[in-house]
Order: sequence, then structure tokens, then C-alpha cells
Amino acid sequence: MDVLWDGLGEYSEDILRCIRCGFCNSVCPTSNASFSYMASKTSRGRLVMLQSILRKSSTINPLDREFRRLIDLCFGCRRCLEVCPAGVRIPQLMWRVRSLSGGGGRLRLMLKHYGAIEKTASRIHRLSNLILGSRLGRRILQTLAGIDSRAPFPRFSPPLESMIKQSPGQGRPLAYFIDIFTNYHESGLGLRVAGFLERLGYSVYAPVQREAGTPLLEEGLLEEAKQVARFNVSSLLREVERGARILTSSPAAYLALKRDYPELLGDEDSRVVAENTVDVLEIIREEVDGGRIRFRGGRGRLIYHSSCFSKATGMSGLIIGLLESAGYSVEVREECCGIAGMWGMMREHYEEALDVGSRLFSKIRGADVPVVSQSETCRLQISHHAGVRTLHPFEALLGRIQSR
Amino acid sequence: MRYFSRVSENDLDFLEGLLGSRNLSTREEELIANSIDAYQGEFHKPEVVVWPEEPEQVSQILRYCNERRIPVYTRGGGTGLSGTTPIHGGVLISTVKMNRIIEVMDRDMQVRVQPGLIYERLNKELESHGLFFPPDPASASYCTIGGMVACNASGLKAVKYGTTRDYVLGFQAAFPDGSLRRVGFHTFKYSTGYDLVKMMVGSQGTLGVFTEITLRLRTLPEHAETIAAFFPSIRLATETIYHIVRRGLDVAALEFMDGWMTRAVSEFKGLGFPEAGAMILVESHGTRSAVRETLSRVRDIIREHGGFGIMEAEDEASRKRLWDARRGAYPATLRLAKTLVISDIIVPLSRLAEAVEKAYEIGDRHGVKVYCIGHFGDGNIHAHWCAEERGDEVLRKLHEANDEYSLYAISVGGAVSAEHGIGTEKKKFLRLQHPEAYDLLLKVKRMIDPNCILSPGIMFDVDEVIG
Repeated sequence: MDVLWDGLGEYSEDILRCIRCGFCNSVCPTSNASFSYMASKTSRGRLVMLQSILRKSSTINPLDREFRRLIDLCFGCRRCLEVCPAGVRIPQLMWRVRSLSGGGGRLRLMLKHYGAIEKTASRIHRLSNLILGSRLGRRILQTLAGIDSRAPFPRFSPPLESMIKQSPGQGRPLAYFIDIFTNYHESGLGLRVAGFLERLGYSVYAPVQREAGTPLLEEGLLEEAKQVARFNVSSLLREVERGARILTSSPAAYLALKRDYPELLGDEDSRVVAENTVDVLEIIREEVDGGRIRFRGGRGRLIYHSSCFSKATGMSGLIIGLLESAGYSVEVREECCGIAGMWGMMREHYEEALDVGSRLFSKIRGADVPVVSQSETCRLQISHHAGVRTLHPFEALLGRIQSR
Repeated sequence: MRYFSRVSENDLDFLEGLLGSRNLSTREEELIANSIDAYQGEFHKPEVVVWPEEPEQVSQILRYCNERRIPVYTRGGGTGLSGTTPIHGGVLISTVKMNRIIEVMDRDMQVRVQPGLIYERLNKELESHGLFFPPDPASASYCTIGGMVACNASGLKAVKYGTTRDYVLGFQAAFPDGSLRRVGFHTFKYSTGYDLVKMMVGSQGTLGVFTEITLRLRTLPEHAETIAAFFPSIRLATETIYHIVRRGLDVAALEFMDGWMTRAVSEFKGLGFPEAGAMILVESHGTRSAVRETLSRVRDIIREHGGFGIMEAEDEASRKRLWDARRGAYPATLRLAKTLVISDIIVPLSRLAEAVEKAYEIGDRHGVKVYCIGHFGDGNIHAHWCAEERGDEVLRKLHEANDEYSLYAISVGGAVSAEHGIGTEKKKFLRLQHPEAYDLLLKVKRMIDPNCILSPGIMFDVDEVIG
């Protein structure tokens, strides 16, 4: 159908390049849920349907609501990118298919301004938490934002950006690209990251920035996502040109700068920002390798949950290595928890997310050791549904690090 | 007049009554998603997709469809490369809900599984028993055991471990007459008349539908090592392979890549391989001392034949790097070719070098690029016929070259398919492949499936079966 050819541009070629080997299905979280015995609910099924439309072999309308429901079963985990022999950019393709049908759906307005809404809620965090802690508040949130009232929703904290400096001081400059969750829900973690790095001689500051914009991409609001990306790249590039590296502590922020923005904008500026982006865990690795800090040793067990984005960025190997160097015995769990940012919180996906996560929850429920995961929303989902304590890898390492 | 019946409302009512409403679908999206596999072919939609959960349900579907003369196709992981899609519509049985390991018979070194179990999941489960099911197709992460049995799949390790057929000890299958029969034994050998078990392996859903399979297992090797070597020419590489086999060395894999493929993979994966006319990969499994001894003699043969740049991998990580090179062949080609057809011929060992040269000659004549890799230890060549363009005309040209290559394989005493199956792609060669026994093949098909409801159009044209 021409709407696909015209709307997808070069991504039409990705659809045709798919050889239907099924490798994406083997790693796709929603393709291994109990509902995905149906081929149309799997990753390869989505590509086959798109191929059939392009090759005029089916009557499927790519703008149809039911078809969109099937496309929405891809929540952008990026696991498929690691195994696809044909190099089909599956998640990026799905963003574009969604954008054909408008993107964002009834939540379009809310999504376009989600960064500002979160910021406001964070500024009045006590009131926000009071409202969202009530049944009525959650119902309102469900009605306005589509977030299922049964889903875990993070408490607001005061904005991190207002608690750390806005420009570099003495020390090696690190411009902190914070992103929504750390900024407005986990500012305590962000403060500990900044404090730790300051003690190592870095100067951590928060330059002008917006949210990373991953939910915009996932909803197919590509123009809005591009605007956010351009804003962030332009601001962060200035910091790079002043000699700073860009610091992240969230895998979504890291992925946005390293992969999504260069792919979305395709320009040199975003590539320069990507090259100069570093996660706090990479800095710990650098410092350990450089002999400036070391692990004081210790024992103990941990479960490491390899989040989709930690896998996609290749961070999981580094994290496991650090945890082991710090003396932990690490049990690695690769299963997806099903939350996928906001996907599993949404009313239409809440049950599906539980289905996806059930394999993980059954393995870790009742664990007497903490579950470590880099992803903020994975920690939220895991602690909520498996009833276990969760930690960011940085927190698991912090107490075991000493300066030389 | 149409031979087969269309699936009617009454038929759907029957299926829904048998399976429940969740276990069938006639939605366009679902039909399309099941209308094609990994073969470069057309979309062929079934009229309904069903997901039976019990063997008895499968047998009842077959009995009903046989009476109503409705085609029945079976689909596992849908990773087939020979074209086994429902070209006559009808009912498509998806085995994905029959995906359990029924019983690991540890001391008997056997396992009973349902057909929809994914290969890789089986071996992961068997790890704790120190056992494995060796055929290792490239589609390991998503192909099902039922699909592997149906096309007699194999892969990189067939030179030591053989093919799926060597591991199927028995099965339960449903037949068009509505019967559900157990065939085979729990023993590694038997001499008990016609071997119906082996006959069903590779039948691609044309004789029955597997509902349970018993597999023989092997012990996980204690140690494995891999070496890679490069050669100035294809002939020196194939001579080396021949001598490794001829001297009876216990190798578990013996792979070949021609010079172009070696370069492409090296660039794609950043491996820094030397410029060469061909490369080979050799792996040995066994005790540490036996592996060392075997590979020492392999290295001698490599050097005798002008091999150079020998790379050795003794630990898991470095072995994986070498195998990444082999596994990178397909992706590397896909990045350079928009249209790709892969041969699956097998030739006698004495013909290996000639067969590679034959591929280049055919490619030149058809104006088609071709690159060769393969499981050369057993003579299996996957020529990759490539084009940088897309379109029906381009695809036709590649298939023509591949067809000529299949004819060549037959002419030298080889076979048109070593591990992918006949499907719709190669059925035109089946008579040539079995010049004096084709009628017997047809008689077997007619005896078991006289109405030709099972996978019609696959392996045989319907007209041939129903006469």
C-alpha cells in the first residue's frame, strides 16, 4: 500500500530486507508471552504483515486500529537488533509505522508535554504524592494519562536539576544529562552520583536540557522527538566544545544520546555528543582501571537483572564485571520485566506486561538478596510485582569503593 | 472443478467445538503472519489457523479434513527454507502450543518431546543432564523439533553427529484416516522390518502430523577446540577437507568459505583475516588429549596443502569469535545483496572443488554473483546466489541459476537438498532425483494420504498424487 511506501521512506527497504528467520522472535519479550502463540503478535509476524502490505499481498490496512494494536506489541526493547542477521532496524521501523497513524493517539497532547508535566509535579512533589497516593488520584491519572491504576507509579522527589549546579566549577567537567526519572523521581540517587564523582575530582553540573524523549519515539511522535533531540544535542554540544563529557546514570538517557539521536537526526553534532557521552558506571570502570579507586572487597550475593536497554547499550557485561570485582556473587537474569518505560504502566498493556514479566517474577520472587538493575522503571516493576528489594548498580558498588 | 473444499462456516464450527474459540483464527492478520516462511517465495494464506493442544485434537482435525477434503498444513517455527506454505489454503495446524518436554530419560539418553518445542530450549534444559541433541541448524533459536524432524534438519556438526534422522527413535503421529499411532522403539538399533520411523523423517508434513517425538541424545563433549586456516586456492582448501575426512580424523565440524565470503565476513565483523582464496574451520570434540591429538594432525594436513595463518581457539570466548566468522557469512551477504537464493546441494566428496567451480561457471553464464560456503566435511554446499537489485525478474534469474546447480548435483550422484528439504522449491527435481523409485514415493504418499489433504503441493503436485 502506498501509504507505507510513501510514509516510511528508506525504512520500506528494511521491511523488504527481512528474511523471516524468526531470530527476533527468539529474543523479543512480547513474542515469548502466553498470548504470542499467535504469529501476528510476534516480532516476525509484524514484519511479515508489513511485507505483505508492501507487496500488495494482503488487505491489511496499516492505519487500522487493530493493526496498530499489533504494532504496539513492540515496545522498543532493542533486543532484536542484536540478533537480526539482515540488520533490520525493527524498533525504529515501528516508531515510523506508528507515526503514519498519527502517533500518540488520544494521549498525544499529554505526551508532547510530558516533560513539563513531570517537572511541575516534581516541584510540588508533596502535593503530587499525596494525590497520587490516593485511589481517586490514581483514577484521575488513569483517565487523563492512561496509566493503569494498578500499575506501580513512582513517587515524585524534588527536581534534581535544582539541587546541583548549573555550570562547571573546579575539576574535570561532567555535564549531567539527567532524564525524567532521575530528575523528578530519584533525585537522591542523582545526588549520590554527583557527590561521588565530585569526590573523585570531577565537577558535575546540569546544563540546560529537556527530557530524553524516548516515550515520544515509542509513540511515533517523531517530529516532537526530533525537536527534543535537537534541543538536547545543541545544548550538550556546547558543553562538549567547552571540554566537558556528558554524564548519564539512566540507560534510557545513555541510549538516547548514543544511538537514538544520531539515528534520528543523522548529523555530525549528534555523533559528537554520542562520542563524548559516558555513563557513571563506565567512569567507575575507568577509575578502577586507572588505579585511582579500588574495591575494598567483601562478600555477598546479588541478582543482576539485565534490562533491555542495558543489553542494547552493551552495558550489562561491564556491570556484571564491576559487581564481581566488588566481591559479589552475581546471578544474572536476562528475562524482561515487561514494563518497558511507560508501556507496561498503560491501561491497554498492563495485563500484557504482567504476562511478559511473569517468567522473571517467578524466578526471583522471595529472593533474600537484592535485585540490581540499571533501569529505573524495571526496578519499579520488579519491586512491585516480585516483592524484592532493588538497587541501581551504582548503589551496590558505592559502599565498596575506596580511593587509593 | 476445484478438487479441495473451501473451509465453510460449518467447518469452523466443528474446529471451534473441538479446540475452543481461543485456538483458532480467521483474522487476516493471523492468516498473513502464517502465510510465508524463510523461503523466498509468495504469500499463501491458509483459510484458518488452529492451535491444538492435545494429540487427539490433531487426529480429529485430520479425520474431519480428510472426510471434507480440506487441505491441512503443519507449521512449527516457520523457519523452513524450501517453501512449505499453504499453497492450497485450508487449515494450518500450528504446533506452538504443543511445546513441552514430556520426559527426559536420563539413563536411556533419550527425551520425549512435543513437536512445537524450540530446539535451543531443549538443549538448554538438557544441559543439566550433561546431554544434548546435536543437529545444530542455523535457525536453532527458533526452529521447532517437529519442523526439524519434518525436514531432516542438520547443520554445522553433521560431519560428526549426523542429521536429525539419526536421532529420531520413534514418534506418535496423526494420520489422515484419523488414527493416532506410535511408531518406533526406545532402543538405539533394531531389525524389525520396514523402518517407518526413518521414512517419516523428512516427509515435510505430507504423510502425517507429529504429536510426540522420541529423540536419542548424546553426551555433552568434555572439551572442544576450533582452528581456522586460510588457503591460496579453493582446490587446496577442499583437498585439505578431503584428507581430514579420509584419514578418519574425529572432527565435529569442517566448514568452508570461499575467498569472497572470507573477505566479506572479515570486513563485516572486523576480524582482520588475511587475503585468501578460501578458508576452513575445523572443530574437534572429545577428551582434551584426544582433541589435541586430532587437531595436531589436522594442522599437519593444512600445512601439507599450503594452508597458512592458522588461528587456534581453545577457550569458549575465542571459539565463539571464530564461529562468529562463520555465522557472519549470511548477514555479511545480506548487507551486500538485496535478493538472495541459497542452494542446499550435496555432492560426493571427490567433487567438492569441481562443484564450487561449477557454481562460479553457472553464475557467470547467468550473469549472477555467487559465493560458496558449506558444511564441506559431508559435501553440503550452500552457494549464495546474489543480486544487488530487487524484483520478480531478479529473483527468477537467481532461481534459474540455482536450478541449474541442482541439476548438476543430480548429474554427479548428489542430491538437490541436504538439510532444507524439498518443499515447493525443489519438487520439480524429485522425479529426476529418484528416477527409478519416484513411482514408489508416490505410492507411499497415496497409500497413507489417498486424498492428498496433507501439505498438498509440497514435494508433489496434487494432480500427480490423485492421478
